[in-house]
Amino acid sequence: MISLEHATKLYGSVIGVNDVTVELAAGAHGLLGPNGAGKTTFLGLVTGQLRPTMGRVLVFGRPPFGNASVLRRIGYCPAADLTIRTTTPFEWVRYLVRLSGFTAAAAAVRAERALEQVGLAAASRRPLVSLSKGMRQRAKLAGAIAHDPDLLVLDEPFDGLDPVARHELVELVRSWARTRSLIVASHLLHEVEALDAGLAVILGGRLVASGTAAEIRAMVDAMPAEIRVRCGDPRRFAALASGVDGVEGLRIEVGGVVVATRHPAGLYAGAVVPAVDEGVEVSEIAPGDRSLEGIFGQLVRLHRGVKS
Amino acid sequence: MSLPEPLTAAAPAPATAVAAVWTVASFQLRRLLTRPRLAMALVGAAFPAAVMLAATRAARGLLETDLTVLMLYALIPEAVCMLGLLVTMCPAVADELERGTWVHVAVRPGGRRALLLGTYVAAVLWTTAVALLATVVALAVTPVQDRPGVARMFVALVVLSCAGRAALFALPAVIMPKRALVASVGLALVVEYLAGVIPAVVNQATVSLRLRSLLVAWMGWRQKLPAEMQLLVDTQPPWVQVSAVGILVVVLLTAAVLILERRQFPPSEEL
Repeated sequence: MISLEHATKLYGSVIGVNDVTVELAAGAHGLLGPNGAGKTTFLGLVTGQLRPTMGRVLVFGRPPFGNASVLRRIGYCPAADLTIRTTTPFEWVRYLVRLSGFTAAAAAVRAERALEQVGLAAASRRPLVSLSKGMRQRAKLAGAIAHDPDLLVLDEPFDGLDPVARHELVELVRSWARTRSLIVASHLLHEVEALDAGLAVILGGRLVASGTAAEIRAMVDAMPAEIRVRCGDPRRFAALASGVDGVEGLRIEVGGVVVATRHPAGLYAGAVVPAVDEGVEVSEIAPGDRSLEGIFGQLVRLHRGVKS
Repeated sequence: MSLPEPLTAAAPAPATAVAAVWTVASFQLRRLLTRPRLAMALVGAAFPAAVMLAATRAARGLLETDLTVLMLYALIPEAVCMLGLLVTMCPAVADELERGTWVHVAVRPGGRRALLLGTYVAAVLWTTAVALLATVVALAVTPVQDRPGVARMFVALVVLSCAGRAALFALPAVIMPKRALVASVGLALVVEYLAGVIPAVVNQATVSLRLRSLLVAWMGWRQKLPAEMQLLVDTQPPWVQVSAVGILVVVLLTAAVLILERRQFPPSEEL
């Protein structure tokens, strides 16, 4: 469905996306990365707002920039807030559907229906300026889905939503992804995790990992695990741990040591037990963060060339 | 929230280009219908009448028709139209970027073209309406011979001025959207009021030469003009002047559309 081949986007001397090669099949995909990582630029390339400076971007087999046949099949909900004052959600969505090529009557029907889907029917005739940010977010989403696109692209879609609205929106997006394709960009892993989507992690404009959540976990499992040991004499413990087979990195912190090792059990036998025997007080041994947040952090560190 | 079965993804109607332009135009016109904008429009429409009233009083009612028409020309097709278009046409892209609506439109098939042309139509309609109202009010308070004839002439001059100048301002609107107003003022001064009065080939591509020439032709002033002033007008018949404005509009809008369709606006939050 989406193919990027060595795609690079430069804004003068600033790199937006850097030599990204990825194939995204039809289905749901999450694009993860901290703010400024290049997510919006990536989406800009996919949605035909931007042209790659180098490399190639294909969506549905064609370059999307200025390609009406591709753009017609894409629904895009950007991160930026809507600040038009007097327009109502209904007028706004109808306007966008009209621009997608539907007649006035069809556009009105689709706008009503999309606003109903996102739970904004009751407020559809109120000026956008009088709505909360979460409601405006829903209006934007309605504008993105009203023309029934094959690919829905959402940039930080849950920003500003209360927990109930967030849950409802997650459900809506999940049901969407059951029949059509979806890309959700977010800097919050739990948002994407909730969508059961494939993951692509982007940092500094580079794609640092992609695959299913399980694949990315496996990738991280192959990396040294971080073990945090709180003890009375971190320097002595570090000296012991440095001689243990499988230990790849050490970081001494206040009141403890963070050890990167491929064999956590070996660390226990080779460093913790001898340290206790020597009288070093060991108060806590905690595994590294294995949640997706932790995985993300590790991938980021790996990309930056930091082992531990 | 639930997601029912999709409506039949109907193939868009064939006549979408014109429909999309009109969709944007009507949307923009609705956005212009706010109290501050309407108040500004009324002030703009009343301004020429106020000046003419003051001039008539100063001349104790003895203002000649030729001078009256010349003043009205300077006030309406030049000043009111220019100012109205600076406000409505220049921010064509900048407003969309500022309001966060640009991306929504840019990802629609033909959205960029529709946005520019629709805004152009809205700017021309809005400014023409204001300028025509200004003409009616000004002529109502100003003693002038052959009022219906003068009114008809000003309708034509206003329409041509708005159509031509809006197309001219479309270029800075797409080339440098965030500085479009300043660029347009510069463009108006350099192209319309400097190049437009240079008796050389360069003034053939200005709207001001065409309007001046039409004014001179329709008022029958050609024979009265001193020899040096003859250089400031074109002696071709009125249909040539009107056609020249039409060609200018097509060329300028085509250039603006081509530029906008290739423009890329980086997501500022990532830079």
